[in-house]
Amino acid sequence: MSINNLILITCRTINQGVALEGGKNTKENVRAAGICAFDKEDFKKLDCLVGTPVKVITDHGEVVVYSTISEEGPHPGIIFIPMGPWANQVVNPDSQACGTPTYKGMKARVEAIPSGKVLDAVNLIKLLREA
Amino acid sequence: MADKNIRTVTDVICPFCGTLCDDLEIDIDIKEQKVIEVRNGCQIGTRKFFSSNPSEHRYNKPLIKDNGAYKEVSWDEAIDKSADILVKAKRPLLYGFSSTECEAQGQAVELAELLGGVLDNTASVCHGPSLLAIQDVGAPTSTLGEYKNRADLVVFWGSNPVHAHPRHLGRYSDFIRGYFRKDGTNDRFIVVVDPRNTNTAQLADMHIQINPNEDYELLNAIRAILRGVELDIDEISGVPKNKIIELVNALKSCNFGVIFFGMGLTQTLSHHRNIDAAICLTRELNDHTKFLLTPMRGHYNVAGANQVFTWQTGYSYSIDFSKGYPRYNPGEFSSVDLLMKDEMDACLIVASDPASNFPAAAVKNMFKHPLITIEPHHTPTSVNSDIILPPAIAGIECEGTAYRMDSVPLRLRKVKEAPGKCLTDKEILERLVEAVRSKKGE
Repeated sequence: MSINNLILITCRTINQGVALEGGKNTKENVRAAGICAFDKEDFKKLDCLVGTPVKVITDHGEVVVYSTISEEGPHPGIIFIPMGPWANQVVNPDSQACGTPTYKGMKARVEAIPSGKVLDAVNLIKLLREA
Repeated sequence: MADKNIRTVTDVICPFCGTLCDDLEIDIDIKEQKVIEVRNGCQIGTRKFFSSNPSEHRYNKPLIKDNGAYKEVSWDEAIDKSADILVKAKRPLLYGFSSTECEAQGQAVELAELLGGVLDNTASVCHGPSLLAIQDVGAPTSTLGEYKNRADLVVFWGSNPVHAHPRHLGRYSDFIRGYFRKDGTNDRFIVVVDPRNTNTAQLADMHIQINPNEDYELLNAIRAILRGVELDIDEISGVPKNKIIELVNALKSCNFGVIFFGMGLTQTLSHHRNIDAAICLTRELNDHTKFLLTPMRGHYNVAGANQVFTWQTGYSYSIDFSKGYPRYNPGEFSSVDLLMKDEMDACLIVASDPASNFPAAAVKNMFKHPLITIEPHHTPTSVNSDIILPPAIAGIECEGTAYRMDSVPLRLRKVKEAPGKCLTDKEILERLVEAVRSKKGE
């Protein structure tokens, strides 16, 4: 199943903050930042279990992350990926000439991919080196 | 009885976020030079101290990539190779600096000037728009102590301190008792403006659930109502008119208000124009009551990087030395824009992880060219570097100065020795300056 017309926001979370201190290349970081949080009602439309990998697609790229239900809801129509390498595969690099990319507010589509593989930070970034 | 093998260091400044908490107590195993206990820190700050202990994630010797694998080298060789790369580059980018101390940042300015390179700090991707707006319209601001003692209305706009600045609410902005706010949180009205019902919003007295990317419209609607304009629509930015009027009344009727703003304003559409509007709103609120604003700075010394770069070059970030003198133009000399246009041919990254934090298209271009990192831990940037120079962690393994989010300078403490052959960021940059000078025949 998939959901269209979502808005993607990227933000800090305390778990992501803890994971980045000395453990960026660990599984802990994947669990903290390789996730996409959904509004509870939106998530029902995906018709899958919490934790199922989902592909998040924007005009700027796509990334596979684990799904989760937001503890900071309700926020219908909004999905949320913590700041980090996963979020940065799909953010808008355009800074509108001010230097700061538009990390928040991208239009996004999400597909449930039960067989999808969520890469760790090193392997995800390695793809950029090889590209 | 006190254990002779343990030394307790008190009043330690936490080198994690811009709140720069100054009351940490750290227990050190003297023999092993390891952190064994951290008191008073938040979850993230505590983790940062523990992560300084030797581990498989920590570098302790200089490394150079040779046929795809890293080999240990001497500092002399690592500095010589790094200087070679930087001197040969036509347009090297020096980026990072927000998680190190001011003396090292000063050395980076000298190195960038010598190389004729581009110098940028992480404000470029976080509060750069705030700096642009402050240059345009100024900023009525104050220190965190004033807010603690006086503020009875606190607005968090596009910022979620429960997650990003975990002790901010407890030390300065909500729960803490102040001189004029004897009853702490009960004497304060907290407003959160955010598209999500964040954990900070769940603690607040009022949550304005705004549509993403529509902050500029709401800020200006508030300004209009403040001037007595009657809005002719029922809803702005997803917020009902009545709710906006209720917010305006709360803002006007407080004794001392403050707006803390974060990435929710700087990283959305409108960028620095959002901050312009927020500053103008704050200025106009002073016609009714006392109102100030302060950016919620992320890295513990990003404010220091802006201070040091400004007093040494005249500009706070995105500085180009290619003409022999500093020029400033965010959008052209800012790191992400430079990388997107592939206009650099080598990178020196200091105390930062752009491979994790920059958009993917920018990272791809960064990897096309030689990459040197001064970084204590394994990160997606360091493991893709050609040369890794391991530093002592500033604020844990060496002293230095850092600026809090309200631009108050504080002296960082050294609590333990760095593992292995680590040098401080300042020493590494000094040696690079020396090597570059000698290669250039200066």
